[in-house]
Amino acid sequence: TTMADKQNAQKSVKIAAGAVVCVESEIRGDVTIGPRTVVHPKARIIAEAGPIVIGEGNLIEEQALIINGYPENITPDSEVEPKTMTIGINNVFEVGCVSQALKIGDNNVIESKADVGRNVILTSGCIIGAFCQVNTCEVIPENTVIYGSGCMRRVQTERPQPQTLQLDFLMKILPNYHHLKKTVKAASKPVFN
Amino acid sequence: MASLLQPDRVVYLVRGEKRIRAPLSQLYFCRYCSELRSLECVSHEVDSHYCPSCLENMPSAEAKLKKNRCANCFDCPCCMHTLSTRATNIPAPLPDDPTKTAMKKAYYLACGFCRWTSRDVGMADKSVASGGWQEPENPHTQRINKLVEYYQQLAHREKQERDRKKLARRRQCMPLAFSQHTIHVVEKYGLGTRLQRQRSGAPISSLAGLSLKEGEDQKEITIEPAQALEEVEPLPEDCYTRPISLPEVTTLRQRLLQPDFQPAGASQLHPRHKHLLMKRSLRCRKCEHNLSKPEFNPTSIKFKIQLVAESQVLLTLTNPVENITHVSLAACEEDDPDDINSTAKVIVPSKELVLAGKDAAAEYDELAEPQDFQDDPDVVAFRKSNKIGFFIKVIPQKEEDADVTVSFKIRHDFRNLAAPVRPSEEGADNPTEAIWLTHHVELRLGPLAP
Repeated sequence: TTMADKQNAQKSVKIAAGAVVCVESEIRGDVTIGPRTVVHPKARIIAEAGPIVIGEGNLIEEQALIINGYPENITPDSEVEPKTMTIGINNVFEVGCVSQALKIGDNNVIESKADVGRNVILTSGCIIGAFCQVNTCEVIPENTVIYGSGCMRRVQTERPQPQTLQLDFLMKILPNYHHLKKTVKAASKPVFN
Repeated sequence: MASLLQPDRVVYLVRGEKRIRAPLSQLYFCRYCSELRSLECVSHEVDSHYCPSCLENMPSAEAKLKKNRCANCFDCPCCMHTLSTRATNIPAPLPDDPTKTAMKKAYYLACGFCRWTSRDVGMADKSVASGGWQEPENPHTQRINKLVEYYQQLAHREKQERDRKKLARRRQCMPLAFSQHTIHVVEKYGLGTRLQRQRSGAPISSLAGLSLKEGEDQKEITIEPAQALEEVEPLPEDCYTRPISLPEVTTLRQRLLQPDFQPAGASQLHPRHKHLLMKRSLRCRKCEHNLSKPEFNPTSIKFKIQLVAESQVLLTLTNPVENITHVSLAACEEDDPDDINSTAKVIVPSKELVLAGKDAAAEYDELAEPQDFQDDPDVVAFRKSNKIGFFIKVIPQKEEDADVTVSFKIRHDFRNLAAPVRPSEEGADNPTEAIWLTHHVELRLGPLAP
């Protein structure tokens, strides 16, 4: 039972103190959420094929979908090494975006209804514009802006500012209107029998 | 409704200077000529200029001076979106006491779409929110202005010579009428922009003020011809070997939007003032009446005069006017010269169809009497207020037709409500005379079922 308990404990959702995660959001699987991160209602974070680790100060808006799912040509039954999806700090996932990127750095912005594929690696300061679908197999260089219907690219000189003001405001206001999920200390204590 | 989502299904033939087939929603109806008009058989006139982002009106003379650009708004040189002004607080030394620093507001331009900022090209932040931004000067402005002056003078001199020659030949006519007669000839090099009237000989007296005054002494303007250089700057040595950094190269579109500079590097892309848009009014060429005249206010989308075909001509099956209309359909004859697109034969009902008038209040009137039209159920499928559905038989002529097209003529009576009503002595109702209009209609019915 120790092993079973341990596995169950690992598959749960660990929300650090200081994070604001609304009860109406759907979080499944082994997900770790860092402090000062805000998860809006109706956001979905699904760790199917591996765990998801989300850092500090991220903003995940409504109907955003962060999913660590199985690649298309692999059935869930076959043995695949579970890969961890890591998301850094100060990222913004705007309304309705879909992110399957396994590695996201800091200060990135994925705008509304954008779609980021599994083989994309976002470094830092990248902005994926609204409704842009990026499913190439590449590392997006720092400070790249992808915009427009043809996914044009350019490099900006300044990285996008962290949304500290917005985060502070939301952390004050959201608890007035929504119930929050319970926070757990991030370091899970080993389960002793 | 075919007119909203699939406008090309039903097209009407316009017999103007060109024969154009267009859906009714894109046509106008001149009620003085009682004919359909398309965009190609009307004359377009500029009504007013306005900026699409700040919606500021600008008189035409001012627009011409500013080269049709707005004074306040800028376009992003990267994605052509409208730039917005953003403010930041930067510490700046106080003018009185250089050791202390206070927060001062600094403004820069930023694009919300591609995240371009004015700092990318090295433009310094300004301390005023608007009016501080300047477009870069074109280094060739002086030479261009001088060339334009020289050619304007040349054009004027040529026109005077032409006038003098014509005057010498026909001595009876007044000299004044003459220079007005030659004005309608296209002015070379654009001395003054003016609409070109369709009819020649119409007096355009205001044009005379734009050319050089007669008495003014014409100083000779000379220009130096352009000099061709024998030696051209050679290409840099690493032209073929240097790796290209794509983010630094401008696209053709970005480059050509600034024809003065055409910068090759993205760091030289400066923002330009936004182009003005214009409102146009349409005028029937035959009777010179206005068909469409928009409001002067840029925020208003209404029209002062709007004679669109949909509100005047019979829609398929729907009667837009308020009186009872009689419609009869006729198939096209064998050798009809208009009948070029039809791929199927059609048998239309031979009887006349009657359509009730449009009555906006009928919806709310529960006690209204039911309409008493005796409809042949073979011909009329349904009838509802001013709409009617009727059957036509289509005989496709080809085996596998991807787009079955039928054409027929529709003939209906039209009462011209715009014509002046002659007052009758008894004060009785004086119905306006009805005229019969015939339109050639083409229907695209889609592919044949396999």
